[in-house]
Amino acid sequence: MSLLENTFLGLNQVLLQRVSESCFELLTPMPKILQPLFPDTQDNRVEIDDRLPFLQHFLYDAELHWREQHQAAFDSGVWLEAVEGQELPLEASAIFVNGKPLLLLQELGEKYRETADRLQSARDHLLMEEQLEREVLKRTRQILDREEQISLCLLGAAGCRDQETGAHIRRIGLYCAAMAEALGWSRAQIEQIRLAAPMHDIGKIGIPDHILQKPGVLEVHERTIMETHASIGASMLSGTGIDMMDLASDISRCHHERWDGSGYPEGLSGEAIPIGARMTAIVDIYDALVHKRVYKPAFDESRTLEIMSDMTGSHIDPTLFELFKTLLPTMREIREAVQD
Amino acid sequence: MIQKKICLLGGFSVGKTSLIKRYVSSIFDEKYLTTVGVKIDKKVVDIDDKKVNLLIWDLAGEDDFCRLQMSYLRGASGYILVADPTRPHTLDKLLCLHKRAQKSIGNIPAIIALNKYDRIDEWILSDEHQTELSNLEQPIIKTSAKTGDEVQTLFVNLAGQMLSN
Repeated sequence: MSLLENTFLGLNQVLLQRVSESCFELLTPMPKILQPLFPDTQDNRVEIDDRLPFLQHFLYDAELHWREQHQAAFDSGVWLEAVEGQELPLEASAIFVNGKPLLLLQELGEKYRETADRLQSARDHLLMEEQLEREVLKRTRQILDREEQISLCLLGAAGCRDQETGAHIRRIGLYCAAMAEALGWSRAQIEQIRLAAPMHDIGKIGIPDHILQKPGVLEVHERTIMETHASIGASMLSGTGIDMMDLASDISRCHHERWDGSGYPEGLSGEAIPIGARMTAIVDIYDALVHKRVYKPAFDESRTLEIMSDMTGSHIDPTLFELFKTLLPTMREIREAVQD
Repeated sequence: MIQKKICLLGGFSVGKTSLIKRYVSSIFDEKYLTTVGVKIDKKVVDIDDKKVNLLIWDLAGEDDFCRLQMSYLRGASGYILVADPTRPHTLDKLLCLHKRAQKSIGNIPAIIALNKYDRIDEWILSDEHQTELSNLEQPIIKTSAKTGDEVQTLFVNLAGQMLSN
């Protein structure tokens, strides 16, 4: 046996030359490991038929390759063939050399096992990362659920004394979440403002009943006490170290600040007012105007927007109001979906 | 005997090999062993009183390391798109592979397998994904290679579609 033939045998490779569509002539000896694939070898020739469907499929592409007389090898990719109870990793290559269409068939052995081990390890690692990511998401969801329960408890306590309805409070959160989404906030931030904004008036829990529930106009000294609800709420909600509660505290403190600085409690103006508070101010006014109150009828949307337009630049943030107007279809859906 | 080629497509570790093993050999192995390359299994089934030899091509899952060669689909009479809804990105992969398969071999019978039904409490199937899946207008079967749930139905349904195509 020649050196070349021994080399092919040692590498578990066999070189075949195409004779006809499915008939190939052996140019090198058939390695023992590949022999079961071709039980009908005769006169140094083998048939590639539907007993080897992958190889048969590859011959279609190989035929095109040979016809175009490409010099470079064209590989089949790895496939596994079940032989005598074990799986042989194989690869075929079509090559065109010295005017001859050749097929190199090789058992990949260790080379395949190394590739498989490398891929297995990379994918195991990816699966582990995915699992950890899912666990983090699950825990985050649990934390958010707890935060929601806390906010609902607080709102429930405040609701015993305030006349605002549960639906109004829920809508405020959803309107703000819609604005936050349009502003490109992260999913976590959107969830935070959905829970935080409804607590903007929670400080009213600290306002005496004779002022909070007084019908008609408040006296000046009563109004001064009423206005303390912003800072009372901010104090109640601060210091927890929870992002959502910090946001709620800011919103509570600043939701009566005005764009031109004429609001309370600190007289902040423009973008010095936290954005969450500016958003809450807009949606709170909108929701109050489109719904009936004891002191006013429900206004239709066009009248509501007229009133709000008059408030831009003085009371509410004009840029955020423009954004709000682009979201009116969503706001209407929320109004219709969340009612008492 | 009629011979039909079926391909299984999907992201990695969605259970393509396990579905085939369950269908062909009625076995399931909990351990994940990644498939490298292509493995072809055969199974003879009776569909409408006809014996059909199914050639089931298990194609390695696609990811950043491996891209699926669409030429493997040539000659297929149908394909199964497999996803694991406990890992929602495998649904995106399924949608992407379906588009590529259609581009490569046109409209042939296809079926969607939402696998790992035994872990349905861990499924994360968003409204968007549900809409996108139903927009494909292909049968959707919830399977479990682990318990064997609906695995037979999956292959027989596709074979039936292929015969009536």
